[in-house]
Amino acid sequence: MNRTLLGFIRKELIQSLRDPRMKFLLFVVPCVQMTLFGVAVSNEVKNIRLAAIYDSKDYVMRDIYQRAIAGKWFLPADPSTEQDPFKLIQSGKADAVLIAPPGGLTRGIGRGNAPIQLLADATNVLQGQAVENYLKIIIAQVVKDDLKISSPPPPIQFDLRVLYNPSLETAIFMVPGVMCTLMVMTTMMLAMVAIVREKEMGTFETLISAPVSRAEVIYGKTIPYVILGMSNLPLVLSVAIFIFHVPMRGSLLVLCLAAFVFICTCVAMGTLISTFCKNQQQASLASFLFMFPAMMFSGLMFPLENMPPAIKWIAYLDPLAHYMGLLRNIMLKGGGFNYVVLHVSVLAVMALVCILVSFRRFHTTLQ
Amino acid sequence: MTERFNWKRTRAMAKKEAFHILRDPYTLALALGMPIFMVVIYGLAIDFNVKNIALAVTDSDQTQSSRRLIDTFGSSKYFLIKSARSPLEAQNDVASEQARATLIIPPEFEKDLHSGRTAQIQMLLDGADSSTVGPVAGYVGGIQAIASKRLANFDPPSPYQIRTRFLFNPELNSRWFVVPGLTVVVMAILSILLTALTVAREWENGSMELLLSTPVQPLEIIIGKLTPYGLLCIIAVTSVFIIARTVFGVPFEGNIFVFGAGCLLFLVTYLAQGLLISVVTRNQQVAMQFSMLTGFLPSQLLSGFIFPIASMPIFFRYFTMIFPARWFMKIARDTFLKGSDLPSLLAPFLALSLICIWMIRQSTRKFKRDLER
Repeated sequence: MNRTLLGFIRKELIQSLRDPRMKFLLFVVPCVQMTLFGVAVSNEVKNIRLAAIYDSKDYVMRDIYQRAIAGKWFLPADPSTEQDPFKLIQSGKADAVLIAPPGGLTRGIGRGNAPIQLLADATNVLQGQAVENYLKIIIAQVVKDDLKISSPPPPIQFDLRVLYNPSLETAIFMVPGVMCTLMVMTTMMLAMVAIVREKEMGTFETLISAPVSRAEVIYGKTIPYVILGMSNLPLVLSVAIFIFHVPMRGSLLVLCLAAFVFICTCVAMGTLISTFCKNQQQASLASFLFMFPAMMFSGLMFPLENMPPAIKWIAYLDPLAHYMGLLRNIMLKGGGFNYVVLHVSVLAVMALVCILVSFRRFHTTLQ
Repeated sequence: MTERFNWKRTRAMAKKEAFHILRDPYTLALALGMPIFMVVIYGLAIDFNVKNIALAVTDSDQTQSSRRLIDTFGSSKYFLIKSARSPLEAQNDVASEQARATLIIPPEFEKDLHSGRTAQIQMLLDGADSSTVGPVAGYVGGIQAIASKRLANFDPPSPYQIRTRFLFNPELNSRWFVVPGLTVVVMAILSILLTALTVAREWENGSMELLLSTPVQPLEIIIGKLTPYGLLCIIAVTSVFIIARTVFGVPFEGNIFVFGAGCLLFLVTYLAQGLLISVVTRNQQVAMQFSMLTGFLPSQLLSGFIFPIASMPIFFRYFTMIFPARWFMKIARDTFLKGSDLPSLLAPFLALSLICIWMIRQSTRKFKRDLER
């Protein structure tokens, strides 16, 4: 490596780390954020406030309600004077109301006609679905236990087993996702803003007139951010492994390689986007414009399987989606060779294309 | 020195800032184009009803019954069947992300079924993608009932029926859930980012000192600088609202003024927060990272936008209260879908006002104190 480039990288590193707040933002904040989001964010629905309307003699219904409250999914709704179940939900005092059939559930089952009504607040779609599923399970159990109705078991039984994360710890699923969101934020945006700032201040012209080649300028402006991004990796990784006990089934080396390629892709994309921006404000907006769909198509918040094919292809262009898949695959499943090679090479190709295009654009903008 | 607040000077400031925005069509396009783009993409792409789950099937029985069982899965529209030669291959498909679940039909399946024994079928689910595990387990229950009926004529009458009514969103339309929340996210991003950056830029360039040495009062500077960005945010949120209503048919049950009041309150809070960030950081790069951390991420992850607050650990249920986005999320969703009125949204409005007042106080104070130094 030549000395100009080394000097350039040193200068850039010193410049970005000079501000103590930047150090804090780069190294402390990601760990704190990961801990916060890892603990807080989960797509499991819990603590649903449930109310039930039934006669005090209706013991099956009472048992259903009590069993529901005793579990971790439901909480008793605010016991108030409100009797209208619709208003109870409308006013936000309850998320779901269970209403016994007329004449009571206990007698209704005896007659073989017992329509139990369930009103669920579906403003949150996920919660609405979960309420119904949870209550179905609870009601079936209670009816079986209380009334000793032993209907013959269905002739086909499915033995469900969950691989890789048998206790369904959400942190194990979410933490790799949060990790890669944080990594893209720090690396890509830093690189982008650093380049645009030179442009904005007019120091880019000075740089060009200096005896450095274009390649040196570009590498000198990007490599430091790859280094910064990589130095972040052990931190966030240890938070994932030691605090959240995310298993590390694959090889650490493969993970580092994947992270390296991903960070290069991010920085390359940042460089490319920055060639389109005149000032830092534009750069920030552009990076948001990138981040938002990137997060959305990454599979962190929404299942990718569901997207219509016309839109799903965007996910193939999303480096976050590839990296998120890689992280989960390597950490949780041990990293299949073909899978890792495929997605790492996709990321690498993206990085290459971005760098090549930015080279060209630098060329034309400087003329 | 204590000159009165002058509207004319404020207007001039605002006008200058507006020209600044208009002169830079790039910023303008991003600020207005981004929200529209987001709503359209979100509206088209988001669906929480998990479908098209790739299911790797190994059929060791190869009988009519086993084929009908596979067909039951295939015709349910939830599963995409992908055949695998051996159980091991099926499991490898899961390991290499080719499949989300496996279905392994044992060799004696039809025999068991016909002789009245219970036929055990193993299914492995991919726990690395926990968003599909829950739904798959739910679907399998339904398929068990259908398959038992189709293959073995097993259909005992249930002693009870559950009739679920999903209030406010009877068809569980994911769009109705996501798009109202998007108004919050859009506003959060634009307001905090734009103000933090513009004001930080003035500090960074040293032009803030210049401005302050002129007879313009600090308050006039603040209001003058922020008003155009506030307007930009209002335009953005209005366009999101219109697209939501017209293109995606999201209902709006509540009072538009209640929603509007919530919008304004939220906007002012975030503008003040942006100002605070810029005064504290005085550097665009740091300001951007801070607005990311305190504006973008919380408004997406800790506001209840996707991940329900009630499911969070107890600490976070209280911790999220300091984020204005959480309160406005409640206001936006409830006015859109539930048609809530002001009295029932008293708590979020109160909380939002408190945060708003605190933010304004902090930012103007900090701004003034920095001047005196």
